[in-house]
Amino acid sequence: MNTQNQNGYMLLFRGNDWIKGLSPEEKQKVTDQWMAWFRRLTDERKAVAGNPLEREGKVVSGKNRVVSDGPFAESKEAIGGYFLLDVASMDEAVAIAQECPGLPYGIRVEVRPVAPECPVASELKREAEFAVL
Amino acid sequence: MGENNAWIERLTAQGKAKPGRALERSGAFVSGKHGRFVTDGPFAESKEAIGGYLLLDVETIEEAVAIAQSSPGLAYGGSIEVRPVAEECPLETRARELAREEKLATV
Repeated sequence: MNTQNQNGYMLLFRGNDWIKGLSPEEKQKVTDQWMAWFRRLTDERKAVAGNPLEREGKVVSGKNRVVSDGPFAESKEAIGGYFLLDVASMDEAVAIAQECPGLPYGIRVEVRPVAPECPVASELKREAEFAVL
Repeated sequence: MGENNAWIERLTAQGKAKPGRALERSGAFVSGKHGRFVTDGPFAESKEAIGGYLLLDVETIEEAVAIAQSSPGLAYGGSIEVRPVAEECPLETRARELAREEKLATV
């Protein structure tokens, strides 16, 4: 895996059952820490965007474009929000992810390098180049 | 793949899409206290793997779903999750609600 990337990195916050069983004070504490964390990253210009996501939603799938309600209720995989980071290395992105205030409570943070274009498109281009040789 | 780019360009020109991103297939998962566990993700073959996102500037979930349904990529399988962006973190909303309930209970 490339450890440098000029297109930045994305943090995806996975899991929405991790706050169950926390007291109101703990929930307030985590929320305050999270806001402060995001504000600091924004001030340092390391985070360029971030949003929490509502817990409801829809899933559209397949060539018939079927619309169903999302199974968002209790899930380790459900995405609660994201940050878009403007940092140059995977190490730095992971170090930032490790600061997430939700980690002691079981949240998982997915760290992904941003691609300049869809990886499928890149692959197709590469295959086309080989075909010509 | 040209279809996909054309689709995104059209939505952006209509002011309905803000810049999104494609994501590389590599990455890591961070978990545990202080994020001490860092593992490679099983990103390659997975129904849950996320390939990218688009941020929409539309008012209703119906409109967002209709846009999702127009995605050229769906013809080849895969799915699109449509989620409303929250004004504030749902945690904060819930924490406030609980604090209010508590105040009422002590009255």
